[in-house]
Amino acid sequence: MNDQVTPLVEMREMSVSFGGVHAVENVNFNLMPGEIHALVGGNGAGKSTLVKTLAGAQRADSGQIYVDGEPVSIANPRDAKALGIETIYQNLALAENIDAPGNMFLGRELTTGFGNLDDSAMENATRKIMGRLNPKFENFTRPVAFLSGGQRQSVAIARAVHFNARILIMDEPTAALGPSETEQVRNLIRQLKTEGIGIVLISHDIHDVFDLADRTTVMLQGKVVGTVSKGEVTMDEILAMIIIGKAPQDLTQSEIAEIRG
Amino acid sequence: MSITELPPKDSEQLHEDSPRGSLKGIIRSTEIDTRMLGMVGLLLVIWVGFNIMSGGTFLSPRNLWNLSVQFAPVAIMATGMVLIIVSRNIDLSVGSMLGFVGMAMALIQAEILPRSIGFDHPLTWVIVLLVGLLLGALVGMFQGFIVAYVGVPSFIVTLGGLLVWRGVAWSLASGRTVAPMDSTFQLLGGGSRGSIGEVGSWVVGAIACAAIIFGLISSRRRRIKFGFRLRPMWAVVGLGVVGCLAVLGAVWVMNSYYLPENVARQVAEDQGIAWPAGGLQIPLGISYPVLIAIGMMLIMGFIANRRRFGRYVFSIGGNPEAAELGGINTKWTVVKAFMVMGILVGVAAAVTIARLNAATSGLGTLSELYVIAAAVIGGTSLAGGIGTVQGAVLGALVMQSLQSGMVLMRVDAPLQDIVVGIVLVAAVAVDVFFRRRSER
Amino acid sequence: MKTKKNIWALLAVLALLAAACGDGGTTETTVGSGGETTTTVEGGGGDDDIVIGVSWNNYNEERWARWDEPAIRDAIEAAGGTYISTDAGSSAEQQVTDVEQLITDGADALIILAQDGTAILPAVESALEQGIPVIAYDRLIEDPEALYVTFDNIGVGRLQAEVVFEMVPEGNYVIIKGDSGDANADFLREGFEQVIGEAVAAGDITIVGESYTDNWDPALAQTQMEQFLTQANNEVDAVLSENDGMASGVVSALEAQGLAGEVPVSGQDGDLAALNRVALGTQSVSVWKDARELGTAAGEAAVALAQGTALADVAGVIQFDSPGGNSMTSILLEPIAIVQDNLNLVVDAGWIELEALCQNVEAGTVDVCE
Repeated sequence: MNDQVTPLVEMREMSVSFGGVHAVENVNFNLMPGEIHALVGGNGAGKSTLVKTLAGAQRADSGQIYVDGEPVSIANPRDAKALGIETIYQNLALAENIDAPGNMFLGRELTTGFGNLDDSAMENATRKIMGRLNPKFENFTRPVAFLSGGQRQSVAIARAVHFNARILIMDEPTAALGPSETEQVRNLIRQLKTEGIGIVLISHDIHDVFDLADRTTVMLQGKVVGTVSKGEVTMDEILAMIIIGKAPQDLTQSEIAEIRG
Repeated sequence: MSITELPPKDSEQLHEDSPRGSLKGIIRSTEIDTRMLGMVGLLLVIWVGFNIMSGGTFLSPRNLWNLSVQFAPVAIMATGMVLIIVSRNIDLSVGSMLGFVGMAMALIQAEILPRSIGFDHPLTWVIVLLVGLLLGALVGMFQGFIVAYVGVPSFIVTLGGLLVWRGVAWSLASGRTVAPMDSTFQLLGGGSRGSIGEVGSWVVGAIACAAIIFGLISSRRRRIKFGFRLRPMWAVVGLGVVGCLAVLGAVWVMNSYYLPENVARQVAEDQGIAWPAGGLQIPLGISYPVLIAIGMMLIMGFIANRRRFGRYVFSIGGNPEAAELGGINTKWTVVKAFMVMGILVGVAAAVTIARLNAATSGLGTLSELYVIAAAVIGGTSLAGGIGTVQGAVLGALVMQSLQSGMVLMRVDAPLQDIVVGIVLVAAVAVDVFFRRRSER
Repeated sequence: MKTKKNIWALLAVLALLAAACGDGGTTETTVGSGGETTTTVEGGGGDDDIVIGVSWNNYNEERWARWDEPAIRDAIEAAGGTYISTDAGSSAEQQVTDVEQLITDGADALIILAQDGTAILPAVESALEQGIPVIAYDRLIEDPEALYVTFDNIGVGRLQAEVVFEMVPEGNYVIIKGDSGDANADFLREGFEQVIGEAVAAGDITIVGESYTDNWDPALAQTQMEQFLTQANNEVDAVLSENDGMASGVVSALEAQGLAGEVPVSGQDGDLAALNRVALGTQSVSVWKDARELGTAAGEAAVALAQGTALADVAGVIQFDSPGGNSMTSILLEPIAIVQDNLNLVVDAGWIELEALCQNVEAGTVDVCE
């Protein structure tokens, strides 16, 4: 690698195992500024575990993470946030009993001069960002348990976007959404990209990946199958990588035909 | 922006709601928690019922004054128990801790301090109180540490604590009753001299009233500043008037209870006043235990709703994983919750031994059950995440009203337990029913 | 690695808990070691070493550890016997196991302070069948084969009431009873009845409040007293409280009404704080049962029984008709009513330090304190 630009994130030789099973094994992964780097693979391929080590939600057994070329240690979510790494989790990670502004600012509440929670300011900020993300959102004072899947998704995205993330990890961001909401999220992702934010996108939706990703890394059984750039490969070739676990150049025509069939 | 209130379902509007005809509509516009209103209703029913059955004794100033003092220790501890339960934990050790901390405080003032600084030294009560609060905090921290960092379930840790601290309480004085308490310290327990008097009570009432009005105005200002929906003006004024009347009414009741004649005579003697023909009527006013309980309720309510710590406790109760992923130090938050509980136990222990003017090793036996019951009757969900401090205090008031009402009615102990037990289960059943309905 | 750390932390905690418990209950649970001493004959007594097993219901109460146990132990050891004991920790089930344990460990006679006089019956019967005599210590066990050693509890109630009745022969009485599950609460009440019953029937005395008190809890007694005072509009002339702990709650309630010292209050146990109240005049009487006397009587009786003395031949026994309809062979000791005039008795017996007794007492009011 002789890139002119320092990668925003570089993960080298990452390994995580649970009770002897290698969930992630010697994985290398990097992310450039303004890049959307998709991470795909079947269930149990190790995608979520890998990004959790970046988000501080999972300790790696070995490996080193670099941010802006500097080695960093990410022991918990607070460390990750301090480095500008925000995450939207698959299960959304919302406190059901707290309202939208409370969830958006969870762990980073706005306070008045005396250290008291400034609920009005937080509600105001939430209203502003929701005006941009989801203008139909209106339930600012009800616990999020009472909100629809799409509305909850908006809260989770708003939370990640609001704090000027430089690195955004999205684990299945459109899984719970209807078609129009999905399109909204795609637009949002494109918009964030133009702002120079690096995005790690985990998705089962191959169309999402093919449309949005600049590069795609395929994982199988904890290992990287290969990383391909946009325009280099067809959708079928990516599918073949996911299922058969071979890089495009190693694939035979019969194997591709099998996928297509 | 509160956590547990369920505000109106209709969409938010950036203008005043116009009052609607129905009672429901009226209550909605005031944004009062309907649960809370239900609890107050239940309390009123209990009070009026007992008053009729006791031939007017129950609602006499004297009985209400006694009731307010009797309920204080449980109310004080219940404000902390809310946070513990909301964080998906439980503290079964508070009764034993009260025995232990109370016994320690009693020994310090009755036996240890007199040796060095003499009996009834002016500083005694301060030293004793500080040691008690510190001891409570340490015990709470110790238990919280085992729960949060070692990972032993709080039920087990505090079940152990229930045995351990009772044993320690016993061994501190080999089971002796320790008495008497320092004379200044005794004021903390109420009693005939342990209240702030007529003028003081009116001042407290006036301050509370001013605070209610100020709160309403500043909340309205903030909403205007951000352009949020406003309460209708009539609701704001109504809330202010009702709130002030309630506060001043309570002060009036406290001031309508006069010093017992014997004590008044003594006061007159001490101050060199001649005993008037018609007797001397000296109002007691608000007692210190009640003042302390109200103070704790306000502080804990503030911590629960307006401080990060409180928000974190609620988020842990709502979704521990989300709290952790949000970057909250959940373990330390749990430790802090147990510490706060310990401090409140210290306060309650001080009030209890001051009131009894003695400490026994059995002090506080079973009070963990009353405290937990008060929190639960007050709407705290044992599943975590839901509860209010005011609710718990109201719950404590309901429990104490039942108990003292039944003693007044000469209902004997076993039957009292039966009634209290039934009310506990019924209250929670009704709550679960309405909560399920509102979720639909 | 992680789990190992957790285990160490847990062990540390357990050690702490154990240490705290060790402080809490200083019971010398001599079972086991006691059993061994029977084989290694010690003491210069008889060649046939006698082992007396004592089953405490709950050692965590002041008087058992401080007064009763040393007295029993001394009496047994003076006769050349060996003392072994168990503590049931307030559990009736545990106590049944304890009794079997003591028999296994070679006890020749048993002294049982029953947690529950009915639940213990099967264990007692089984011991008696094995020829091991049983002494029901302080609390009744309804088995006519057992020896009942106690203070006369009805007599205690009678003594309390006599002192108060003499001061207030007519007027409004409040009666604060102990735990409804404890038979002594009813014995004491019966003693009260024997003294004031006639006056109540004649209308001279009106009982304006009467209630059991869960766990004999002083704080609860205080609340009850407050309610009774409220109900009676302070027109209470005397209070019969069944023990000293509850009396402390009663006196606090009276103090709040400025009535302490004017309304006679009874109690029993000779609690140090209660004796101080007697000196101060806020409590009229504390019936004192010298626990050492009881312990000595039981220890001596146990040795005699173990040596084969017949139940009826034990020194000082009388027949006592129990509430269960049994004629119990009993040793009933006479308690003493401690009032302001005879406080010297408790001081002379070494029961209380003069300083503790006379704390805050005004000069010239009580003779002993001068």
